Amino acid sequence: MSERRPYLRPQPRTWWAHPPYRAYTIRELCGVALAIYAAILLAGLICLARGPQAFESYRAFLASPLSLVIHLALLVTTLWHMVTWFRILPKTMPKLVWRGKLVPQALMTNAATLVAVICSVGLLATAVVVGAWL
Amino acid sequence: MSDTKPKTIELRILRYCPSKDAKPAFGSFDVPYTDDMSVLQGLQEIKATLDGSLAFRWSCRMAVCGSCGMMINGTPKLACNTFLRDLAPGPVAIEPLQNFPIERDLVVTVGDFVKKIESIYPYVMPKVPKTIEEGTYLQTPGQMEEYASFADCINCMLCYAACPQFGANPDFIGPGAMALLQRYSSDSRDGGQQKRLDQIRGEDGVWSCTAVGICSEVCPKLVDPANAVNQNKSKSALDFFLSGLRKESVS
Repeated sequence: MSERRPYLRPQPRTWWAHPPYRAYTIRELCGVALAIYAAILLAGLICLARGPQAFESYRAFLASPLSLVIHLALLVTTLWHMVTWFRILPKTMPKLVWRGKLVPQALMTNAATLVAVICSVGLLATAVVVGAWL
Repeated sequence: MSDTKPKTIELRILRYCPSKDAKPAFGSFDVPYTDDMSVLQGLQEIKATLDGSLAFRWSCRMAVCGSCGMMINGTPKLACNTFLRDLAPGPVAIEPLQNFPIERDLVVTVGDFVKKIESIYPYVMPKVPKTIEEGTYLQTPGQMEEYASFADCINCMLCYAACPQFGANPDFIGPGAMALLQRYSSDSRDGGQQKRLDQIRGEDGVWSCTAVGICSEVCPKLVDPANAVNQNKSKSALDFFLSGLRKESVS
């Protein structure tokens, strides 16, 4: 008679809080920060639709120290989200073969990050120039 | 004068005997070791001299067969290419692979994993079959590079032990089987892509994966199973949108 009695150990409930999974958890939570920022922008749009008084109070909120702290924190999380996102980018792409050889994943990450940085700086510069011109 | 006293290291091993134990519990062994000894050799030393009832799987001793995967200090590793000198002074916690049912001591159930591998057609299905007279199927080195890393998988299941989504959903096809799927589906000689895509739809297919990525980090052969799974998410999504346009669905 078989004495098999396989024992399945449950997965620890807090697996996401410990290394090596913690970095993944932080990366995913940065997505929540992006959603919060989108909600702030949406609130601005709603205030704009509701009239000058509502938009003025929205602008007053944006200029408050609390808002500056929130935006600084959101900027940091967004930058981290960008860095980690480009780090996993090569994992989501087909393998690139160039002249019979594999393109290294680190090269893909660096190239994509560089393009993102150039685009961001370009956009910021355009905003500053256009803002000064208007 | 050289120190002649042999060094010892404490190995704390999760033991489970289905006919005696209600649940697994740690047993401790002080094992004499030398600098060239692997964890596997430590286990063999225990079995030979301290406790003959200790059960564990092994075969090649050189990271080729994929039999001796286990959790070493909480990380999935091959016991044969993990050295005791790197774990000194200990103690070292040795457990069976996480996320798999334990049969006995360090031996886990592999049946489901084998079924998953079988389910993805693990062989080349030629687009147009050739006769022997017509010759062989040719491939350039560049075309081989596209799947070469996935062909290095040794089915050691360390990636499954590292995957929290497999832990949450044991029916998830998982990183190892997806690496094998990608090995064949990205082979220029193969024509079985659609049949394999049909096997990996839904939650139990690729969609349980949330790109945690630790599967690729623990892989002893640098197969990069996370890449295999995530490439197939895009393919599976495209297949979903195109499925309504295919001929076989019009009837």
